[in-house]
Amino acid sequence: MINNFVFVVLFLLGFYAILVKKNLIKMVIGLNIMEGSIFFWFITLTDRGKMIPIVNGTQVASQLNDPVPQALILTGIVIGASTSAFLLTLIIELDKFTSSTNPDQIGGMIED
Amino acid sequence: MNVALILLIVIPLGTAILIPLIDIFHKEVRKYLVVFSAFLEFIILLYIVVNNFSKITNGSIFLTYNLGGWLPPLGINLTLDMLSLYFVALISTAVLFLVIYSIGYIGHHEGKYYVLLFLMWAAMLGIILTSDIFNFYVFLELVLITTAPLIAFKRNREGTEAAIKYMFYGILGGVFIFIGIILIYFNLGTLNFAEISANFNMLPLNIQILISIFFLVGLFIKLGIFPFHFWVAKAQSAAPSPISALLSGVVEKIYIYAFLRLIWNVFGINVLQDTGMSKIIIYVALLSSIIGHVLALYEDDLKRMLAYSTIGHLGIIIAIVTVNTKFAIMAGLLHVLSHLLMKISLFTSAGFLLQFTPSHKLKDSRGVAHENISVFSGFIIAAAGMMGLPPMIGFFSKLFIVRSFINSSFYFGASLVVLGSIFSFIYYSRYITYGFKKISLGSPEEFRLILSVLYREKVVKNIALLFVIAVVLSGIFYKTVFCPLEGVYNVLENPSLYIDLILGG
Repeated sequence: MINNFVFVVLFLLGFYAILVKKNLIKMVIGLNIMEGSIFFWFITLTDRGKMIPIVNGTQVASQLNDPVPQALILTGIVIGASTSAFLLTLIIELDKFTSSTNPDQIGGMIED
Repeated sequence: MNVALILLIVIPLGTAILIPLIDIFHKEVRKYLVVFSAFLEFIILLYIVVNNFSKITNGSIFLTYNLGGWLPPLGINLTLDMLSLYFVALISTAVLFLVIYSIGYIGHHEGKYYVLLFLMWAAMLGIILTSDIFNFYVFLELVLITTAPLIAFKRNREGTEAAIKYMFYGILGGVFIFIGIILIYFNLGTLNFAEISANFNMLPLNIQILISIFFLVGLFIKLGIFPFHFWVAKAQSAAPSPISALLSGVVEKIYIYAFLRLIWNVFGINVLQDTGMSKIIIYVALLSSIIGHVLALYEDDLKRMLAYSTIGHLGIIIAIVTVNTKFAIMAGLLHVLSHLLMKISLFTSAGFLLQFTPSHKLKDSRGVAHENISVFSGFIIAAAGMMGLPPMIGFFSKLFIVRSFINSSFYFGASLVVLGSIFSFIYYSRYITYGFKKISLGSPEEFRLILSVLYREKVVKNIALLFVIAVVLSGIFYKTVFCPLEGVYNVLENPSLYIDLILGG
């Protein structure tokens, strides 16, 4: 139960940062908090409180945790890291043109 | 097991890796390499079509390839049925000619450009061919991260701003899809499309709805449907013209494919229809469509106008396929083809015409028609297709859409499609009248300094005209395009067949 609660709080915190903060880097941090909250939530959801899934021949499958979520989360972390790294380089590039990181100068996020 | 399927993904991927290596030794070889691999891809597609021609004509084609030899549902497998084949054929043909167009168009940092373009191509084919939902997500994010640098490719302020916005929206859409995938894995313990599809209706109804909503929101953000349309115009106007054409014509169609595959084959359309959500989707999509057309009406920038018209047409496609009658889905799929051809020909001819004008503004394009009458008349023909005039393909797809809206007594939708056509008539004729105005054009040389790209005009011109010819020819022979769509419809309507084919083979 506590994990759902923490997930919702962290997710909304990240969403709040994206909607309200007037600094693109803080918005990227918000995105990362959102992604991190999902990873955390998924890991705790699928944790059956069993052994680490390293098969050495002595355990049976029912004694082990499910290894698939961890593989998925690792991939998710890699994707999240690379997208935010690229987003940060774009922000550096924008800073060279405009000398600021305020999202309003790119027309805000909900204007076109 | 069919090796051609994996080759479809590996060839663009391998080319993307080869290009930097070739660049070290000899830069001139690069352009032959990219055209060669684009053709090779096309030949493999032809090989698949020719080898299975009888199966394609009766719509029962089904090829599969298990990655690493692991059988489904344990391993990831690639599958190709009528729906995938339709989209693979559209995308591979369009990208082939856009690669040739780019050779004439992009004049700087070509190495980086083709690496990104081919990676994006591989990722798009991956989305279409995969039948594993997490693999699907990875390819979706790969499309995002390869498209964004292409949007910012001119390395000016507009491009960077547009790419930042595009990335924010794209990542947000990806986050929603990721939550959907987590809910699926948590509830069903599988990631294979067929297994999800087989067990999905055993879930409690509220979980089904929740998962569908997460996927729909994610896909609508990535498509740029109304409440999330803010990145579309900026991204498509700041990118170089071939990339605008790709974004509007090809990448958006990938998300339409994802929408069709996930909602029909994986989740089942019944969930949406029983809960009345399909009505909401239709209205949201129609609203988005009309908003796109109205925004295009107010726009005074050519490429932004084309981008807004994209929103208008995507809304129509989403709405008509969600009506979910046989004729409606076939009409929607035909509009996918017609919008792809028309929008690519508009963007490619616009890319040629804009080199003679000081800016993208409509009023700066005065007199552009006199110097380039062939490409400009191509632009007019493609625009006439957008307005829905015969004999262009746009006429037939819009006619079928209106007819299927009326058949399912959705008069509101039918009238909105007609209204959209009238709006597009107004905004395209604004540009065309500016083009014919008699004002002496300054020498192209002085304008060219403004643009960051160099042109080798002949290829650019010919490819733009080729797409226009495709618009007209596919309109004249619309029946040859329309009839195979029945097989695509059969795939969408029989998820149980899809399950049997994947898990049985």
